[in-house]
Amino acid sequence: MIPERIIHTSELTKDYGSFRAVDRLNCRVRAERITGFLGRNGAGKSSTIKMLLGMIRPTSGSGTLLGYRIDDPKQSIEIRRRLAYVGEDKGLYGYMTVAELIRFTRSFYNDWQPDVERRLLDEYRLPPSRKVKALSKGMRTKLALLLALSRRPALLILDEPTEGLDPVSIEQLLQTLVCAPSNGTSVFFSSHQLSEVERIADDILMIDRGVAVLDMSLEQIRENYRRISLGFSTPAPVLESICGIETMRRDGRQITILASSNAESIAQLGRERGAVDINVSPVNLREIFLETVQDHNRQDQHMHPEREDALV
Amino acid sequence: MLWYKSFRELRTITLVGIAAMAVACVFIVMYQQTMRDHADAPMTYIAYIWKSVYNSIGRDLFVILSIILGSGSLLQERAHGTAGFTLALPVSRRNIVFTRAIVGYLGVVVIGSVPVVVLPIASRYVGQSYPVLQAVGFAALWAAAGAVFYGFSFLLSHYYEGDYISVLVAVPALMLYGVLLTLARAAQLHMVNIFGILNGEDMPFFNETQHLLVAPLPWLTLLLLLCVSVTFVYFASRHIQPRDF
Repeated sequence: MIPERIIHTSELTKDYGSFRAVDRLNCRVRAERITGFLGRNGAGKSSTIKMLLGMIRPTSGSGTLLGYRIDDPKQSIEIRRRLAYVGEDKGLYGYMTVAELIRFTRSFYNDWQPDVERRLLDEYRLPPSRKVKALSKGMRTKLALLLALSRRPALLILDEPTEGLDPVSIEQLLQTLVCAPSNGTSVFFSSHQLSEVERIADDILMIDRGVAVLDMSLEQIRENYRRISLGFSTPAPVLESICGIETMRRDGRQITILASSNAESIAQLGRERGAVDINVSPVNLREIFLETVQDHNRQDQHMHPEREDALV
Repeated sequence: MLWYKSFRELRTITLVGIAAMAVACVFIVMYQQTMRDHADAPMTYIAYIWKSVYNSIGRDLFVILSIILGSGSLLQERAHGTAGFTLALPVSRRNIVFTRAIVGYLGVVVIGSVPVVVLPIASRYVGQSYPVLQAVGFAALWAAAGAVFYGFSFLLSHYYEGDYISVLVAVPALMLYGVLLTLARAAQLHMVNIFGILNGEDMPFFNETQHLLVAPLPWLTLLLLLCVSVTFVYFASRHIQPRDF
């Protein structure tokens, strides 16, 4: 039986020497949902995924995937038997032909669906007799996706799946992913294409510098997140931070607030402080991502001034 | 199917090794008359074959090919960007390491067995004969001694990531081992001389005058050599278990 929380990490940490890639990450990914895993380059997404797959060992903390412990080598094999994974680099054996690699991969799994394999082979126009090393980057990505999507796994983990794909293939992939939960497959995918994530994801897990900065359903985000602009006739006053304010920027006579909840109370506070122009508008995922990551950077630089990373 | 993957990875180098060994043997046999005529002292055909195949060209080629066959691991896969795909398969790292080790070692055995087939056939073609049993005996010596060179290179390839770094480390290490064998104390310990076991030189089971294997092979020593190789593979596996990829 698949647990309700398909991925569960507790204080999961990964250090590479003195560099902390993942910092006490606590997350819970729901089953039969599509979860978008967001973060900047080097935010710790790939390290987290690799820990989930047993490719790297956590420095501390723990995690389970499909109910199996990720730090136990035997249970890790069970995890990999039940999930399909497409890595960031899409590295496949160049010395095999497309057909050989499909045959090779198929032999490890009982949930292989030959009809899906044939359909994808046709859709992606992959030449079965061509060596993998002779394929273009986009074709290699398609082959990696075929190897993952020709199964019916409990969980599909995709690291930048649309990178290198043409628009038609991206569309086909997104359609496939949207249908996956109805077949009992949960999807956990990382992407920098926020518009794609916003189109298909049910839940969003956002990390920055290895720390979870947002873990919420997209529906909740759409319902609750608001941008509130307060215009004043005199220089903007300092507003106290109240519940729901994620980021606040003061610029002359203007205050711009990103609120994760409580938008009405925040607008009311602005009114009480003399705001003459109040504008409450919905925000998209891209804005939330940029605001959250930038704010986290500011806080981080304030706490660790020795870090010189530029803001996004 | 991990067997198939290892087979495909090693197929080219194994086939090239088989071809190179076969060509070397044929070349040695075909030019036997010329070479023997130009030798410092007259020698029998059997002695010529021993000196050329089992004590120089063939042996050196075999050692180098054994080392090259041993040079491949998950670290090299990481360098090629395929380690992620391999490690996402539902198999243990131990399984991956041992499968590769066994398939590679079979390649060593096959290359070491090439003279068994080529020498008797090519000898007949030039009107000479070389006993098949002698060739089989040397193949057994090569299989056991080659396992050590192979295992050593295999272990090194689990420590060094570059494609042929393990070869570049193994060759001088074995040259150093060869130098150490010339030291007086080591020279007395025949059975630690793996190069001697390869060609039989100075060994009690080899007749230096006839250049033939004359006594039963040192099976216990050969078994020990295989155990040494297995130990190398075991440590390679242990080293790769906790590594991050």
